[in-house]
Amino acid sequence: MTHAAIEMHGINKTFGPVKALDNADLVVQPGTIHGLVGQNGAGKSTIIKVLAGIYARDGGTVTVFGNALQTITPATIEAQGVHFIHQDRLLVPTATVAEAIFLRNEPRFGPFISYRQMNRRAHDLLKRYFDLDLDPRTLISELSTAKQKIVQITRALAHDARVLVLDEPTAALVNREVENLFAVLKRLKKDNLAIIFISHYMAEIEDICDVVTVLRNGTDVGVVAPGDVGIPKIVEMMTNRDTSEMYPRRNVEIGAPVLSVRKLTLDGHFRDVSFDVHAGEVLGITGLLGSGDKELVGTLFGQMLPDSGEIRLQDKPVSLCSPVNAVRHGIAKIPEDRRAHGVATGLSVGENISLASLDQMSSKGFVNRKTEAKKVDRLIAELGIKTPGGHTLVKNLSGGNQQKVVVAKWLSCNSQVYLLDEPTVAVDVGAKVEIYNLMNRLAAEGKAQIFMSSDLEEITEMCDRVIVIYRGEIIGEYRRGEIDADRLLAAASGAQMDNERKSA
Amino acid sequence: MTAATDIPTTRSGRFNSRNVSKIAIRLGAFVAFAGIFLYFALTARGFLSPYNLTNVIEQSTILGLLAFGITVVFIGTGTDVQKGGIDLSVAANAGLCAAVYDVLLRDGYGNGVAIPAALGTGMFIGFLNGLAVVTLRIIPLLGTLAVMNIAAGLELTLTENTVVPVQSPLMNTLAFGRFLGISVLAWCFLVTTLILVWVVQFSQIGLRLYAVGGHHEAAKAAGINTGRYIYGAYLFAGLMAGATSILIVSRLSSSTPGTGLILLPILAAALLGTVFSRRFIPTIGGTFLAALFIGILANGFQLLGISSYWVAGVQGALILLVVAVTSFAKKN
Repeated sequence: MTHAAIEMHGINKTFGPVKALDNADLVVQPGTIHGLVGQNGAGKSTIIKVLAGIYARDGGTVTVFGNALQTITPATIEAQGVHFIHQDRLLVPTATVAEAIFLRNEPRFGPFISYRQMNRRAHDLLKRYFDLDLDPRTLISELSTAKQKIVQITRALAHDARVLVLDEPTAALVNREVENLFAVLKRLKKDNLAIIFISHYMAEIEDICDVVTVLRNGTDVGVVAPGDVGIPKIVEMMTNRDTSEMYPRRNVEIGAPVLSVRKLTLDGHFRDVSFDVHAGEVLGITGLLGSGDKELVGTLFGQMLPDSGEIRLQDKPVSLCSPVNAVRHGIAKIPEDRRAHGVATGLSVGENISLASLDQMSSKGFVNRKTEAKKVDRLIAELGIKTPGGHTLVKNLSGGNQQKVVVAKWLSCNSQVYLLDEPTVAVDVGAKVEIYNLMNRLAAEGKAQIFMSSDLEEITEMCDRVIVIYRGEIIGEYRRGEIDADRLLAAASGAQMDNERKSA
Repeated sequence: MTAATDIPTTRSGRFNSRNVSKIAIRLGAFVAFAGIFLYFALTARGFLSPYNLTNVIEQSTILGLLAFGITVVFIGTGTDVQKGGIDLSVAANAGLCAAVYDVLLRDGYGNGVAIPAALGTGMFIGFLNGLAVVTLRIIPLLGTLAVMNIAAGLELTLTENTVVPVQSPLMNTLAFGRFLGISVLAWCFLVTTLILVWVVQFSQIGLRLYAVGGHHEAAKAAGINTGRYIYGAYLFAGLMAGATSILIVSRLSSSTPGTGLILLPILAAALLGTVFSRRFIPTIGGTFLAALFIGILANGFQLLGISSYWVAGVQGALILLVVAVTSFAKKN
C-alpha cells in the first residue's frame, strides 16, 4: 500500500483574533510537483511553517508517508525526510560548498573531519544531480544566488530528502537560472521525490506543477491541475473575495502633471520606467516582491540614485540625491515599516507630527511652541488619532494610530507629491477607512499621490490609474474602469504577458 | 572510483580582480611579517640570539593563549569581527584568576586547591559573558565590557591593588624549566596550539562553531543549538584566562595589578590573525602567527631602544589597519 508523501487535514491556526488557517487540507503525492498558491495572507506560509514545526497547529492531523506526527519540531520533521529550501539563502557565507552541504552530517576519519571524503562526496552529488562541475572548496559567498540555491537543494539530498519544500525559489533568479532549476526539479520528480513549490509567479506554476492547491482566507478552495483548468481560473479562485463597502468615493478633477519620470533605470532593479502623476490623482504601483517597485519609489524619494533617466517636478528636471533633498522639493514618503522609518516611537505624538515641518513653525532658530501645539491639536482632531493628547509617546499608540501619526507628520509640511508605501499594512479596518479618507482629502487639495500596495483590492478601489511592474519593467497600465484585481494579479505574476501579446 | 585524484580542478573565476586583491592582502601580511623579522635581525643587536628568540616565544605565549580565547569567541559569535561578538573581559579575567591563584597560594593552600580555583574563576567569568550575551541578549561589546569591570573590580578587592609575591615548585618549573632544549612556557604554547588546531579547524565541533558565527540563522536551520555553542565559546575563553593566569603568576612570581592592560595586544593578535586565512576569518593558526608577530614587534622595539609607550600605539594602529583592510577586501 502506498502512502501520500504529505497528508495534512483540517489544519487550524489562529493568531490572536486572526484565523490564519481554517480547516485547511494539503495532500502531496510522491513523484509530483505540487504548487501552493494564494494571495498574501491566504495562509501559504502559515501552513508551511506548521509543517516545518515552526508554528504549533491548533488542530488537525499531519501524516508523512503514513506516519502520523503529533508534535512537530524542525528536527523531527527533518528526520522524516522533509526538507525546506527557505526563501532567504540560509547558508554560511564563509563556509565552503562541501562544508555547507555536510554541516551536521560531516564524514569523519577518526576524531578528524575527513575533508577529502567530504569534498569528493560534495562534488559527486553536485555532478550527479545537477551535472555541475563545481569546486567543493569554493566559498559560499563567491557563488551566484542560483548556485547557492542548488547547494541548498544538494544539502537536502545529501540528507536523504524524500520531500522538498521550496518557498519562492525563483524570486532572486534570472530566467536562465530558473530554467536550470526547473530541469533539476523535473529530474528529482522522476526519482520519486515529492516537491512542494510555492510561487507568486503564475507562469512558473503553469510550467512546472502537476497539481496546485489554492488557498484563500486560510482554507483550501480547490486542488486542480493547472494544465486542465488554466491560470485564469486559478487566479479567480485566489481572488474571489467579498468586497465590503469600505472604500469611500471621491470626485476630483485631475490636473496637470506634477511628477514626471522618463526612462528611469536603476541597474538590477528597474529599467526604462516612464510615467506621469497628475495633481489630484492617485496612481497605483504594484508588483510582486522583488519586482523593483519598492526601489522605484525609493528612488523617487532620493533613497537610491538612478543610473540613468530623468525625474521632473512641475516640468523642471530635478536630481533627488537624498531624502532631505526630496523633502525640500515637496516630496513626502509614508514608509511601510513605520517602526523602522516612519515615526520615532520614543518621542511624543506632537513632536513626531511637527518633526518634518519645524521650519514652518520656528523663527530665529527657536520653535514656536504655541504654533506647534495648535497645529498638532488640529491634526489630531482631523485625523481622528486616538491619543490622550499631543504629549503621549507614540509607542503607546496602536499600530493604526501610529500610521496616522506618520500621515499627519507629512500632511503638516504641505508637500506636493505623496509616496504611500503600503500605508495600510497591519492596520485594522477602521483605521484603513480613515487612511483612505485622508488620501481622498489630499487628492481634493490637488496633491499627486503614488500608492503602493500588494493588497490588490485596495489598489483597485482607490486608484485612478495603476501601473504594474514585472521584473523591473512596466508591463501594464490600467485606467479606472479597466482595473480589476484578477487582471492586476495576472499581470504582476507574468501570466498575462502571452495573452496581451496575442490580443495586441 | 579512485578517491584521491577525484577532486575537480576547475578554477574558473579564481583570478578576477577581487581575488587578486585578496591574495595581495594575504601575501602582504606574510611579506610584512617576514620583512619586519628581517629588519630587526639586521638592525637590532642580539635579536637572532637563541636566548632572545626563546624570549620572544615566551613573551608571545601569554598573549597567544589569551588571544586563542578571543579567537574562539570571534569564531562562534561572528566571523565578521565588526558586527559579531567579542570578549573584552579576557585580560581582566586573567588578572582576576591570577589574583585568586596567588592569594590562595599565599594563604597556604596548595596547587591542588589554587589551580582548580583559578580555572573555575575563569570559567565563571566566561559564564557571566554567556549569560549577558546569550541569555540576556546584551550586545557583546557592552556585555563583556561590563563583565570586564566586574572582573577588574574583584581583582582589586582581592589584592588591594598591591603586588602579592608567592613561590611554589610548580611555578619554578613553569617559569624556568626546560624540556628538549625548549622552555616549558613555550611547550605550553605549542601543545595548546596543536590541540586547538585539531578541535577548531578539523573537528565537527569546530566546523559547527564556524557555522554558528558565520550565519546564525543558517546554523539554526541546520539544527545546531546555537546558544550552547556561544556559551561554550565564552566558557572556553574563560578557561584560557584561568589557565594562562597560572603562567602569568609563574613568570612574575607574583600577581601584579595591570594584567588587564594586555587586552589591546590580545585583540590585535586575534584580529591580525584573520589576515593569514584564505577567507579572512579568525583561525588558530592565524592567531598563533599574529601573536608571534606582535611579540617580535614588542621585542624588536625594546632592543632598538624605542620607548615601550610606542608599542601600544603601534598595536592600536595595527587593529585599525587590519579591520579596515579585511572589511575592504570583503566588500569588494
